[in-house]
This record gives sequence, structure tokens and C-alpha cells, in this order.
Amino acid sequence: MKIWKKVDKTQQFLCVIILVYIIVVSMRNAQFLTLTTLFNLVRSSAGTTILSMGVLVIMIAGGIDVSFPAVAIFGGYTSLRICMAYGIESLFVTFAISILIGVVLGVVNALLINMLKLEPFIITLSTASVYFGLMTILVGTKNVGASDLPAQFKMLSSAKLITTTNAYGGTIGLSVFIIPVVLCVVATWFLLNKTLIGKGIFAMGCNNEAARRAGFNVNLLRIFIFGYSGVLAGIMGVIYIAGTNSVNPVSLVGTEMSVIACVVIGGAAPQGGYGKIFGTLLGVILYYLFNQTLIYLGLSASWQDFFMGIVLLFSIISTSYQRRLKDRKNFIFTE
Amino acid sequence: MTNANHIVVAEHICKSYVGVQALDDVSIRIKEGEIKCLAGENGCGKSTFVKIIAGVESCTSGTIQINGKNLTKHTAKDAIDEGIQVIFQDLSLFDSMSVADNIAMNKLIKEGKPFTHKKEIEKIAQDALSLIGVEMPLDTQVKELSIANRQIIAICRALALDAKLLFMDEPTTALTKNEVDSLLDIVLGLKKRNIAVVFISHKLDEVMRIADSITVIRDGHKIGDFSADELDPKKLAFYMTGREVNYQKYERGYEDQQNVLEVKHLSKKGNYQDISLSVRKGDILGLTGLLGAGRTELALSVFGLNKPDSGEIYFEGNKVEINSPEDAIDLGIGLVPEEREAQGLFLKKSVNENVAAAILKRLKGFMGNIDSNGSRTLSKEAIEQFRIKVYSEDTIISTLSGGNRQKALIARWAASKPKLFILDNPTVGIDIGSKAEIYEYIQQFAKDGIGVIIISDEVEEIVSNCNRVVVMFNGEVVKEYTEEEMQVPNIRQQINELVESGKITEEGGQQA
Repeated sequence: MKIWKKVDKTQQFLCVIILVYIIVVSMRNAQFLTLTTLFNLVRSSAGTTILSMGVLVIMIAGGIDVSFPAVAIFGGYTSLRICMAYGIESLFVTFAISILIGVVLGVVNALLINMLKLEPFIITLSTASVYFGLMTILVGTKNVGASDLPAQFKMLSSAKLITTTNAYGGTIGLSVFIIPVVLCVVATWFLLNKTLIGKGIFAMGCNNEAARRAGFNVNLLRIFIFGYSGVLAGIMGVIYIAGTNSVNPVSLVGTEMSVIACVVIGGAAPQGGYGKIFGTLLGVILYYLFNQTLIYLGLSASWQDFFMGIVLLFSIISTSYQRRLKDRKNFIFTE
Repeated sequence: MTNANHIVVAEHICKSYVGVQALDDVSIRIKEGEIKCLAGENGCGKSTFVKIIAGVESCTSGTIQINGKNLTKHTAKDAIDEGIQVIFQDLSLFDSMSVADNIAMNKLIKEGKPFTHKKEIEKIAQDALSLIGVEMPLDTQVKELSIANRQIIAICRALALDAKLLFMDEPTTALTKNEVDSLLDIVLGLKKRNIAVVFISHKLDEVMRIADSITVIRDGHKIGDFSADELDPKKLAFYMTGREVNYQKYERGYEDQQNVLEVKHLSKKGNYQDISLSVRKGDILGLTGLLGAGRTELALSVFGLNKPDSGEIYFEGNKVEINSPEDAIDLGIGLVPEEREAQGLFLKKSVNENVAAAILKRLKGFMGNIDSNGSRTLSKEAIEQFRIKVYSEDTIISTLSGGNRQKALIARWAASKPKLFILDNPTVGIDIGSKAEIYEYIQQFAKDGIGVIIISDEVEEIVSNCNRVVVMFNGEVVKEYTEEEMQVPNIRQQINELVESGKITEEGGQQA
């Protein structure tokens, strides 16, 4: 129970919801509680998990980014087209191109915020359009079918880390997507909890001016944070392309809000200064549980938005209610 | 000229900004282990001096020696390296981060190691805390702590960097009496460790009493160094403002004996019990006691923000139910809250909009539109009447000084022509000059027949302005002074002793 006490209320709340949901669904449908479901969940949630780490870091620093799907698809799709054009089959080069584009676009976001002293939301809302538009002009938005994908993408898509047989004798396996996911999560955890930069990220999210006075270079920190988020977006871009059967570069745009929702559900403070990796992971897990398994309850996937909305609403209400109770105790009346 | 015992020797410091001479030939020496108070009105240059010593700004001319080194044009980093730390009034803490992180942060940055270890951070924090003999849970978030404990964290953060000289900007403003006492104990402990502390203040309070010397600055000039027993509030006020500041003692001269407000047996669990009191037209009723005595809670109940459990409220003789601030305003009750920035003012709006805020109903035209000319005329009048120092009525209110903001807030309620006016600690953080003016306005309101309630910790404020006083402890009225009793010459001492005695009985229970 020591661990239970270490996690905050939001995380406890999410654990309970997830547990209850799993119990309810397994009682309704025996096929749910199988490795197949778990493996599918890991594969389908890989991209969102990686993106959510970037969103988490930016949100803790007191900012917000809505341009990351555009950055991810810019990186991934450009990398794909370059590889196709030049016949590159190296996985390393594929990732390198995508990550490089991600870093550049992320740093541009940070530089614009630093120079113009404007809200990150407004800046990234504009750059999201600019980046996507730029990609459309430079690279195009041609659909690429699965059979046309270069070898390294096909390999990434089908390679399994471990394989086993299911109840019907078929082979199932855990996608290699788990490797970049684990790497990104561990790296983000290390960054936030074990480095001076991590302390600076929390500090600037709590109180930007105080962080400056304490001796942090907040502009440099912002460049780092958005650059880091760009790296994650670049990695996600490649995985996203490998994960879909037919690459339609338009489809990723517009998914930013669901990723942000996962992070907020996970307990990160939208005003900055607070956020937990474990909470964010729980948020993503919940999202994909709804996304993938509502069908076991006989509900269509369109119920997912509804349930996510309810959970989000509930967690916002409970935090704001707790804050109001505390304020009342201190005689602060802000209606 | 150099003295081994001096941490800072600042000679003939001048600082001018474009067109403004902020400091003119100010020489100040700070010894090791000395407790010094830097006193002066807002804008007198005391903060500028601190900024120059801390290396945040550089002086136009003059010399500064720190620890015997000539460091006239030094940077903030130089100052920190020499052990100079400033605790700003806002404390600059990171609310969502842990106690340990907050204390260790500056040291971590200074050392610049790229990786951090939780154990190391906790050790830095624990060492600093044990230096002043305070226990605190290291992984609690700072936002869960009281202001007093936050101050302790700010002190520890400075100690973690081996501070030799600590500047503290108005450290006692938000503290209760008990908390001030523990802060003073800590400061005396620092003195024993040969750490110098400089308070920046404009109030002759406990802080000044433990100071070895008090340096007064006025309009950028140093007036002199004094010891605490050389000064009394009057003298200090004279040195700080350059003029005799006399608070007119208020006497009620109103014929009409009708009660504006009467509360009978008002109770709210955990806040106050069985409170009965009344305010007549032209009364200025003082509510004093200790912070947490239930005074503010009672005032909020009258203003409709903190519903009482039982008891009755009569307004102008009629029994009323006040369920919201709207009800209170409709009856004619005005409230100037203690936290004027957070609860009273629209900081990003103009003086005009702030002044007109309580009478929008009156300014409302036929279609619900606001009569902007009417509001403008009104705020122009208010600026003139209350001598608010401001360029125009369109100036954003957050650019004004504390005293002028408070005047604007008082002007707002004056415009609403209240029948009962409640002011919660109306002069906290306000310099002496504006204070005298605010007292003048309050007394004028009462002379015009408004019933006034002043909640205050300052006995001086209560005695000069109130014709009747109620003392509260732990949510109960322990003593009521009538008009006749308030005429006794040693009334100030009497009230002071009563409040002090309450402090003793509350100790232990209150200590955080």
C-alpha cells in the first residue's frame, strides 16, 4: 500500500476506473481478458503515448502545444517520401530525418514564443497550419498504399518482440512499437525527475519570474522543451506511418485535442507546474481501452468520445471542487 | 575605511533613472551578524538600494565594498557568490513543488550539476532546516503551507547558499502575531551564527524592535541611523515623511442614535459564537483581536459571503437575510477586503472602471448600456476628492502604488453611497502618508452619518479612529469598550495589554 499512497488522487481515481472497467468488460465478454487485447492495445496506443510525453513536458512548463500532430506528420511523411525517392532502406536514416524535422519545427515554435512573447497556444495554433501547409506544398499529400512502403516501414509494422500462440492456435505477438515507447517514457521520466533541466521545467511552470530570478535561463529552457517535444513527434511520425495500412497524411491532423485530453485526465495542471508520467500513461490507457474494447460491451467505438468526455469532466469537477473547498477554508471567494 | 567586520560598505551611492534621482549620496554599512532595518515610504529608494547591493541594478556613482572587496559594478551572481541573498516580498517560491526542491533549487542551479539526486536534495533541505531548528515535511507541496512556513522556506533557501547577508522585504505583513514571534526567534538565531539580516519595512513593529539599528531613507536621501529605543511611531513617521503626521482622534458628534446594523447572537460553527454588537450612524466600530479571531469571518457574514448558522441581523431596524454580496450592496453595505489585490480590485482595468464597479446599476441606461460619460465624471471627481495620484482616469490600476489602489477602492464604495462601510485591515502595506489620508476619509464618512466597522491588528489604528471597540478571541467577544471608556488616556495601553494577554492564552493551540 506504500505505492498507493505515493500516487496522487487523480492517479488513484484513474486506477479504480480502469480496474472497474476491466472487471465489467471481462464479465460481459471472455475474449476481452486475453493477451491479444493487451498486444493490440500496446500497438494502437504507441503513437499517442509518445506524443503525450511531449505534451506533458510542455504542460508542466506552463505552456501548451497544438502543433505536434502537424510536426509528427511533417517529419514522418517527409521521411517516407525521401526514403521512397532515394530508395533508402535504413531504419536509422528514416528516424533521423523525421527527428531532425521534428526538432527544427519544435525549436521554431519556441523561438517564436520567446521573441514575440505571445501565448504558446496562439503561436502553435498558427504554426500547426503553417507546418501542415508547408508540407502539402513541398511534399504533397499523396496517399501511399501499404504495398508501396519501403522495406524498413514494413519491417517495423510487422516485427514482433515476443510471440506466442492464442487459444485458437494462431500466432500473436507484441509489436516492436513497445521499444520506442518505453525509451521515450523512460527518457521523459529521467528528464523530469533526475535532471536540473527537469527541475527548471517544473519551476518555470510554477512561476516563470521566480524561475528566472533563481537563475534559470527560461528562454533556453523553452527551446529545449519544444525541441524535445519535436524529437518525440518525429519518432511518432515514423511509427504512425508504419502502423497504418494506407498512409493518408491528412488523417493525423486534428488529433491534438485527444492527446491533450489524455494528459489532462492524467492530472497534469493546465496552468503548469504539476504533472505525472504515470498519470499521463493511465490517461492514454483509458482512452485506448475505450477506443478498442467498447465493442466487447456491444457498443460502437463512437461511444469512446462520450466516455472520455465524462471522465475528463468528472476529473476537472473534482479538482476544482477540492480547490474551492480549500479556498473557502482560507476565505477566498472567487466565483 | 575598510573594516574586517563589515560585510557591506556602501559609500556615497547615487542612482538616477531617466530624469529621476532615486538615490542621492546614500552611505550604509552592514556589519556581520547585524540586524538592520531599512525604513522609508514607498518609492523612497530603499528597494533601489537593495537592488544595487544585490547586483540586480548598478549605481550611477559611489563605491561598494563587499567582504572587503571592491565590487562597485557587480552582477547578481557576484553578490550571490559573496553570500548576499534577497527574499522578495512575493517570496518567489514554486508552489507546486516540494519543500525540499524549493530549498535546494538555488544551490542546485549554482552548482550546475546536470543530474539531480533526491537524497542529495533532501540533505540540502534538511541541513538548512536544522540550521534554524525547524522541522518540516520535505515532500509536502509548498502551496499546502501557511505564509509563515513559506517564509521559513525562503530563508532556508538562502541559507542553503551560505548566505552571510539576508535582505527581507516586508516579511511580517501577512503573519499573525505568533508567527511574527517565531520569525523573530529565527532571525535572532541567524544573528548568533553571524549572519546579518536587513529588514525593509515602513512600520515600527516587532521587527524594528529587535533591530540593532534603523536607517531611514526619504526621497533618495539617507536621513540617519537610529536605534530602536530612539524612535517611536511618531518620530519614525516624521523622519520618513518629513512632516508631522498626526492622526486625528475621532469623536462621534452625530445626534441620530439609530442603529445602522445590529447583530444578535450570531454564530457560525468553527468561525465565531454568539456575537452581538451594533453600529449606529456615525459610529466607527473597531474590531480587533488576533488574526483568526473570527473578525473577518464575521464581516464576511454581514456582507453575505459566509452564511451564519444562527442568529439575527438587523439593518436600520429591520430584520434582514443577507445571502449574497448583491443583497448586501442593495441594502447599502460596502466592504473593502483585506486582500485588496485578489478580492477587491480589477487589476488589469482602469481606475475609471474600478471606481464605477459598485454602481453599475445606477449608471445603467434604458437598454442596459453603461453611461460612460457618467462613469467618467464620477471617477474624475473621485480622483480629485481622494487625491489619487494618477495621470488620468484611464490608467490601469495595477500601475498604482498600494496606497493609491486602496484609495481607489474606497472611492468605489464611497460612490455607492453606503450606509454601512466595513474595512478589513485598510492600511496593510500602505505607507504613512497615504495612511493619514485614508484615516481622514474614513472619519469623514462617519461624520456624514455612515456606520463604519474597521477590522485591524494595529491598536494605534483602532484607538485613533474608533469611538467604540470590540475585542475578539477565538470567535468570541471578550471585551467591549464604550465611548466613555475610549476617552481614558491610557486606553491604548489597555487594549494592547488585552490583545497581548490573548496571545499568551492562544499560544500552543495556534502555533503552526
